[in-house]
Parts: sequence; C-alpha cells; structure tokens
Amino acid sequence: MARENIYQEEEFPSPLQQLWYKFKAKPMIMLAFSCFLALVFLAIFAPIITPFSSSQTHLEFILLPPAWNDDGNVSFLLGTDQLGRDMLSMLMHGASFTFGLSFIIVITSAVIGVVIGSLSALTSGFKSSFLNHFLDVILSIPSLLLAIVIVAILGTGLSNTVLAIIIVLIPQFIHTTRNEVKREFAKDYVLASKLDGASSLRILQYSIFPNIIEKIITQATLAQSAAILDIAALGFLGLGAATYIPEWGTMVSNGIDLFYIAPWTVYFPGLAILFSVIVTNLVGEGLRHALKQRKEY
Amino acid sequence: MLVFTLRRLNLFIFTFIMLTALSFSLSFLFPGDALTNLTGQINASPEQRALLAEEYQYNSHIIKQYWAYLTHLFDGDFGISIASHLPISSEIMNLLPATIELSVVALFIAMAIGIPIGFLAAINHEKIPDQAILFVSMLGYSIPIFWLGLLAILIFSIQLGWLPSAGRISLVYEIKHITGIQFFDILLSDSEYKWQAFQNATLHIIMPASVVAIAPMTIFIRLARTSMLEVLDSSYITAAKAKGLTFWQIIYRHAIRNSLVNVIRHVGLQFANLVTLAMVTEVIFSWPGIGRWLIESIFQRDYTAIQGGLLALSSFIFIVHILTDFIYAALNPLARDRKHGA
Repeated sequence: MARENIYQEEEFPSPLQQLWYKFKAKPMIMLAFSCFLALVFLAIFAPIITPFSSSQTHLEFILLPPAWNDDGNVSFLLGTDQLGRDMLSMLMHGASFTFGLSFIIVITSAVIGVVIGSLSALTSGFKSSFLNHFLDVILSIPSLLLAIVIVAILGTGLSNTVLAIIIVLIPQFIHTTRNEVKREFAKDYVLASKLDGASSLRILQYSIFPNIIEKIITQATLAQSAAILDIAALGFLGLGAATYIPEWGTMVSNGIDLFYIAPWTVYFPGLAILFSVIVTNLVGEGLRHALKQRKEY
Repeated sequence: MLVFTLRRLNLFIFTFIMLTALSFSLSFLFPGDALTNLTGQINASPEQRALLAEEYQYNSHIIKQYWAYLTHLFDGDFGISIASHLPISSEIMNLLPATIELSVVALFIAMAIGIPIGFLAAINHEKIPDQAILFVSMLGYSIPIFWLGLLAILIFSIQLGWLPSAGRISLVYEIKHITGIQFFDILLSDSEYKWQAFQNATLHIIMPASVVAIAPMTIFIRLARTSMLEVLDSSYITAAKAKGLTFWQIIYRHAIRNSLVNVIRHVGLQFANLVTLAMVTEVIFSWPGIGRWLIESIFQRDYTAIQGGLLALSSFIFIVHILTDFIYAALNPLARDRKHGA
C-alpha cells in the first residue's frame, strides 16, 4: 500500500510524548489539568498572594456574608468567619495544607511502597505468601480506623495525621507494585535480559521499572484523592489540624455551630475539598485513559 | 470445594493471629502503662494490680503474655473501658449491631441503585448516557462525606423538615435490646406501637444510610459497567446474537446474570471502605454505633476501647470478606479450583 505521508522524515514520539499527546487530546481533561496546576501554584505561593493573613482578625467585620450578598463587603470576597478572618485568604492558605500536604504524603508513601513492593515481588514461597496474607489483613482494616489507631499512638495534630495517612497508603502501593512487577516478570523480554545474565535488581531497574512507572503514577493520583479526603476527614473529626490552622476539613468543623446563621463558612471549604478531589480524579482518569489508548495504538 | 474451604480457614486463622497480635502490641505502643492499657483498670490498688499482673502473666515472657491475652479474649474478656468502667465486650455488643445495621442498609442501597445504573451505562457504551453517568459517578466519588452529611441535614431536616437528623429512633419508643439490630428488635417486641416504631426507625435510617451509600454506589456503577462491557464483548454473546435473540433477550438472559457474578466478587472488598464512611457518618448523625464510640475514645484516651473496637470491627469486616468469597465460589464454579490463596 502506498504511503500517504509525503514527508521523508517521520516523527517517532517517545512513550512519554505519546502519552502526553493522548492526554491533551481531551479538552475536559486539559481543563482539569490546568486547575490542578493552579492548585499546585496556590499551595506553594499562597502566603504571598493572599489578600490578608489567614490569622488576621477583623473585629469590625465578623460573620460578613460573601460580596454578592447585599450585606457583603467587596474587600472580603467570600465573607468572614466568626473571628472576622477573611474566608478567601483562609481557603487559599488551606490549599497548602489540604492539597499540598497530600502531595508530600503520596510521594513519600509511593517511594516507600514501590521499594518494598518491588523487592517483595522478588521473593517466593513462604515469605511471599506470608507477605500476601499480611497485606490482606492490613488492607481489610478500614483506612480511617488504622489512621485513628496511629493518631491514638502518636497524639493528635497535623504532622501526626500526615504520618498516619502515609502509613495507611503504603500497603496499597506495595500491593500495586508487587502485582505489576510479578506480571511483567512473566513476560518474554524479561526472560531475554535474564538470559543475557542480568541480575534481578538490574532487570527491575532497567527493564521493568520503565514499564510500570505509569501504572504507579495512576495509583498515585488515586491515592492523592484519598489522601485529600482523609486529611479533611481527620481534620473534621478534630484529630488532625488544630482549630486555628485553615485546613479545609477543620474549617468545615469550625463552621458547624454557625451553619444556620452563616452557611458560607461551611459551604466554601467543602466546595474547595470537592473541587480539588474532582480535579485530581479527572487528571487520574485522563492518565488512565491515555495509557489505555497508547497500549491499543 | 473442600480445598477452597480449607484455604479460607487457613487464611482466617492467620488473620485472627495477626489482628490479635496487632491489638496486643498496641497496649505497648499506646502512651502509658501497658497493663493498664490492656485491662483498663486505671484505679487499681497495688494488690489488685498484682493480681492482674498474675492473670495476664505480666512478668513472664512476651509469648506467654500474648497467650494469656488470647485466653482472656476467648473468655470474652476485653478488659474494661477506661472512660466508662463498663466491660468492653458489653459495650461492643451494644454498639456493633448499630454499625452493622447502618452499613448493611447502605450496602443494599448502593447495590440496588448502583448496579442497574452501571449496566445502563455499559449498554449505552460511549454514548451520552454513559458519559453522563460516568461524570455523575465521579462527582459522587469526590464528595467529602462529612460535608455531604451536613448538607443533607440542612436540606432534609432543617429546611424541608422531612427526616429526623440524629439518632436511631425517637426516644418516645422503648424497644428492648434483644439482637441489637433495631428492626428485628422492633418486630420481636410485643408493643402495640410496633408499626409506628418501625416507621420511625425507617425514617431515622434513610438519611445516614443514603449518605454512606453514595461513594460505594459510584464504585458499584463502575464495577457493573466494566463487568457488563467485558461480558458483552465475549463470544457467547455473539453466539446468542447469531441465534437471533433480540437485544433485550440477550441482556436479560445472558449478560446480566454473568456480569452480576463478577460484581458480587467485589462486595467484600468494598465493605472496608463502607465501614470507614459509616464511622464518619455516625459522628454527624449521632448514630450510636462503634465508629462514633471509637472516635470519642481517642479524646477520652480510652485505649482499651480502641483495642477492642479495632479487633471487633476488623474481624467483622474479615468475616464479610470470607462470606462473599464463599458466595462467589458458590455462584461461579470456575472460581473454586483456580483461585489460590489471595
């Protein structure tokens, strides 16, 4: 068959480039991705760009409704809480706690989980089946219950919550990595490098890892949305961030008593959590979809 | 089937040992004295303490201590609560049924609504209904549950006044505690207000159960959709088409049954997630379940309660896991021989 391509040179995109082409083909996903980047930007630069400090109280403007309300004030766009703190500034600061910390959590637990998972995939026999059962037990304990137990050991507070959620997420990464590595190990190209005399560690590093990294990234986006929800849930239950920290879940629980008089103190932090989780999920969904398409391609 | 059962039994024993070892080691990890954490006897006199140390083999080897702890567990002795000084086992017997009731009702709501919607999405694959269902399920998956619960209370209890916002049943009705599952207790009681009480309890459970059900429902939508797509892609469906069956005949007679089997397999795995959600929901709706009790225990530094609750909740979840495994194996002959261990 005659080639339709009139140009001599063809472009051969690398796997990562292919992924990017597939990923950016969907406008909805790109919108979510730009929101994701905006949240990352906010999480890093929030202290510089917020209109007020998150702890600054304006005692003459207590429980001010949002600016579009008749009683609102345009310098407090989203209103103020019961201490006269600006909601918008608190929400922006909150991005670095709820959203930013979820990044740290996911990266830490992914690194630990992937290392343990890939090493454990190399074991076999009794050790392997012991680990399998052990993971089953850990995964059957509800994540929040495990986090609560860890918080009970360490004490409440934002840093302890972070540690607890890291520990809760590690088994999931171990599980995914282990399954993926085992599946790849059965394939022919691994056998080829084995016949070349490569050691297991070398096969892991050069043959298998490049092939499973995307799966791990997909798992990481799933874990991140779970981490955001967990930080917020623990904050809401009063086990996480202290009440003066503008973490979104804590803000919701601070607003409960005034829910009927000042519903915006509950609406906005909840919407912020919802927004960041949806954005994270959409990015993850886009990645998964792009991966699937690239495989079929 | 025998090998299958033996494997499950083996897994069950292993899990039980792991869980008890975890809960035993917690008494050393929690702040404070290990023996106090284990027994909950916080105001024990030196003589009582010596007696307890004797009972729990506190001064001998760690394995012997663990064994002593196990024997106590088998006698139904989980220690006493540090906060309320009641035996943990009786507290759990009072609270766990409420959690079971909430999560089972939520599971049924999630399955009853989620699975048909998932099938609908798969039948309209890559058309507008499919996309819409996927988007809504993404939304449901992303909502923080405590916020959803608060919104539900604001809308349905405060503004519309349709449903009660807290508790399991109105205080007017006095129901004797028999099984702990309230609906059974009401039916077993011989009060003349039985049916009013039943209605009242139903009204109380609708909102919390629906809130718990939202996230698992979206997962069931996804599971049902993927499993239906897989089935529709298989060759026996093509054969049925070639036979001349209409589309709906194929769906009813072949596709739904076969894809349901695959969905049921995942019910057990969803259960841990469901209980997590139920724990948070119990706090919001003041549902007198084990989740709310556990979260309160942290504030009261009631370490014995946390140990007992962890053990009770996780064994309950694990029993559900194994039960769904059996149901799946009973429904699907293929799963009996092949599936090893995990």
